[in-house]
Amino acid sequence: MDPPPLTTSPNPTTTTLPRLAILQPSKTHPFQTPSKRIHTAADLPHFLSSLAYRDIGLFLLQLNRALCPRKQQQQQQQATPSTSSTTTTTTTNPLRLPPRDPPARQFTLDAPRSDPPSVVRLRDLLSKLEGFIEEVPPEKGPRRFGNPAFRRWHALLEERVEGLLREYLPPEVLQTWGEEGVLQEVKAYFVGGFGSKERMDYGTGHELSFLAFLGGLWKLGVFGDGGGGEGEVERSLVLGVFEPYLKVIRRLILTYTLEPAGSHGVWGLDDHSFLPYIFGSAQLTRPISDSEPMPLEGSVPGAPKPADILKPAIVDRLRTENMYFSAIGFINDVKTGPFWEHSPVLFDISGVRDGWGKINKGMIKMFNAEVLSKFPVVQHFPFGSLFSWEPDPEAAPVSGGLGTQSPATGVSGPGTAAPWAQATKMPGSAPGPGIPYTKVPWTNTPRGGGAPGTGLPGAGTVPVPRGGVPDTGPPPPTAFPRGKPGTASNQFAVTKAPWAKD
Amino acid sequence: MSDIDRAIEQLRACRPIPEHEVRELCHKARELLVEEGNVVTVNAPVTICGDIHGQFHDLMELFRVGGDVPDTNYLFMGDFVDRGFYSLETFLLLLCLKVRYPDRMTLIRGNHESRQITTVYGFYDECLRKYGSANVWRYCCDVFDYLALGAIVLGASNTMPSTTASPLSRDDVEVEVHSSDGRIISRFLRHQDSSENQGRINGGPNGIPSDSSDDTPTTTAATTTSTAPTLTGPPGSGATGSSSGSLGDPAGAVLCVHGGLSPLIDKVDKIRLIDRKQEVPHEGAMCDLLWSDPDEIDGWGLSPRGAGFLFGADIVKQFNRKNNLSLIARAHQLVMEGFKEMFDASIVTVWSAPNYCYRCGNVAAMLELQEDAGGLGVLARSNGDVNRSDGGLAGGAASWGAAGQNDALLPTKRTGPGRIYHVFQAAPQDSRGMPAKKPVADYFL
Repeated sequence: MDPPPLTTSPNPTTTTLPRLAILQPSKTHPFQTPSKRIHTAADLPHFLSSLAYRDIGLFLLQLNRALCPRKQQQQQQQATPSTSSTTTTTTTNPLRLPPRDPPARQFTLDAPRSDPPSVVRLRDLLSKLEGFIEEVPPEKGPRRFGNPAFRRWHALLEERVEGLLREYLPPEVLQTWGEEGVLQEVKAYFVGGFGSKERMDYGTGHELSFLAFLGGLWKLGVFGDGGGGEGEVERSLVLGVFEPYLKVIRRLILTYTLEPAGSHGVWGLDDHSFLPYIFGSAQLTRPISDSEPMPLEGSVPGAPKPADILKPAIVDRLRTENMYFSAIGFINDVKTGPFWEHSPVLFDISGVRDGWGKINKGMIKMFNAEVLSKFPVVQHFPFGSLFSWEPDPEAAPVSGGLGTQSPATGVSGPGTAAPWAQATKMPGSAPGPGIPYTKVPWTNTPRGGGAPGTGLPGAGTVPVPRGGVPDTGPPPPTAFPRGKPGTASNQFAVTKAPWAKD
Repeated sequence: MSDIDRAIEQLRACRPIPEHEVRELCHKARELLVEEGNVVTVNAPVTICGDIHGQFHDLMELFRVGGDVPDTNYLFMGDFVDRGFYSLETFLLLLCLKVRYPDRMTLIRGNHESRQITTVYGFYDECLRKYGSANVWRYCCDVFDYLALGAIVLGASNTMPSTTASPLSRDDVEVEVHSSDGRIISRFLRHQDSSENQGRINGGPNGIPSDSSDDTPTTTAATTTSTAPTLTGPPGSGATGSSSGSLGDPAGAVLCVHGGLSPLIDKVDKIRLIDRKQEVPHEGAMCDLLWSDPDEIDGWGLSPRGAGFLFGADIVKQFNRKNNLSLIARAHQLVMEGFKEMFDASIVTVWSAPNYCYRCGNVAAMLELQEDAGGLGVLARSNGDVNRSDGGLAGGAASWGAAGQNDALLPTKRTGPGRIYHVFQAAPQDSRGMPAKKPVADYFL
């Protein structure tokens, strides 16, 4: 159904896979205080053809691909720096059997890595933040959700963030670009990565903000100290910064009982996170050479089966190695009840037959549609010089965000096809609200004559409310005032009006 | 067996009915609901329930504990759908029961019975997954528009039933909390001096006793809780309830509404004037009734939800007095103990989704109002017991609430009908089989 990847070249040495460009250092770079530009659902098409969207996509795919296991080349053992390869490739083959591929190099959470100093410092920064939790213990008293102490934790973060970034970002980078400007801009993405102080919640929009923080630093050349081989710095970023970041987040969620932001209840992928499912599935995908693009199916030999997420013992074993299993383990920590019931989307995905590569491809598509193309999520994303609201000159015209529904099939990808097409062809940016299911097995049950299961969530299924509610996405901002945080917000999974403005 | 009985049977087994049957059911339900006023009049006895949120098996547990339909009359205060796995089965079953037993089932609208909210909070996704199209979601939303906005319960008894054995005079008991197996967990008296009126048992949350052989806790508990802070709010309240104002009519009716009050509504009759047959608006009286929350404030406040308002004790008491109400029952907010009375028992939150979202660890509750047998319910119980304290009343469930305040000398007067709260936990999980097939979202095809 999906076309082959665009970048398969017979000659690996000439293949260049897209990466997020590192900017030329400049003292006069026009840094900005990032500001929100997505005010209504009608602004989505602009976002989906902006430079910021392109750069987020490029950076995510670059990190994603770096986590994919690598083939070890038998003939070129001197070219493979990995230590594990040397033991397997030196044996001769007396029986002259066809040479077996040596085991692929995998990138697990617990494998030793040599992270560059820039990455180590960011990790130190994260443990510093985690330490703030000790300073602000959760408030005792009423057993309600959303502990107000989180507001004080967040206030500490805001109060100290500049000093911390000054301390933990490489001094030479700050000097090259001018400290003031760098801090002014990256600070917003960093703080935005740690939940909402007002709503005491955390969700994929916050996660996206932290990704943009790392992407911004990438553009500024912060990770230029990570020499090493292909994809090495990227792996350090994901395994050595992003997973520790998730650990801090999980601790915040547990300590202050943060709510899921914009929860679809059981019908969301996860109450809080998305990216660990992308990175974790990449870790288990079929091995590639350094020049191949990301596979669209297949698993690394010896990988757990997708259905193993349903086995708590296996999850507990693998959560220290793999980000997908780490995220599932956290769900198991906080939820009681049958997994297939409290996490049906992940349960469904555990039935995918074509391996972790297929899951990875689907996760990226889903991230594009359910995170980047959803107004309630991206409305909080701020734009500046690093993630720019300017249109991407290369972007294809966008047929529509939430505003103009397109059928789930047969529509070209949104806006900047290039970065995403490297991994996969994207579906329409947002095939209506909700995760599309076109094949539902039980709609043809004996008594189910009237449930053909053929309808697509397309234009015909757009909500058509009466009573003056716009039928596409949240309405334009109203003048409805938001109150001071009161008791109604101090509880778990309280429903908030989607039309309310922060 | 009629079609509707067959549908009920199928839905009770937690199996969705085919799309064309949903269409038919929704059509019938609309015809029925369109005849109801914005505020439905319901006669006691009735059992009032709060949010369900698609927790189908817990709804079955609710029926097990509260009695089956049509043996028990039920009033559901909305939020049938969203967040849970079985919003569809939950709503369709309740709707079937409504169509089959229209006088024994009352359904009123919650803020989640809305197109816009269900597209964000899960019901839309669920319909898409279970039917492959949004048709069923659309049929259901068309029914939402016809649901009543509130209900008035008349004829609720001021006394407890004589069925439960007790050394106490039934007339003295105002509130009883029952466990899911029918045991009395705690009991709160209408008038007693404070040393006798200890309804609390030491134990788990909500006063659930850790050791439970005693069915007359009011007498034994007194010794163990004599140092408990003196609160005046009944169980679940944690309220200090130091109002000295008139609280409303103790023999009055009970107003049921999903969220709460609106600054635009001072009389129940004004609710009747709303044109309700529409999507829930973003503001205005109809929106407020479905979105507002009581809070420890004076007057009105802005709601952190972004819709509706916060309202304080003074607002509730004034409203109840003006409308001859003894109590407002509402839902809309998670309560760890399942129910929470506030503002001198002038308003109660009832929450009926145990272990909400599979992770909150809360218990659920429903409120049973008995039928007034001897016409006592229409007479105010005027015991003249000013200076009465109900110290310790708020123990247990309420002990985490607002700080204790000794207001034993304040002339508060207990009001309201006799209230039995049935507290129950999440249904056991073992009975649910794992689905054999896993439909995969289009992203993964």
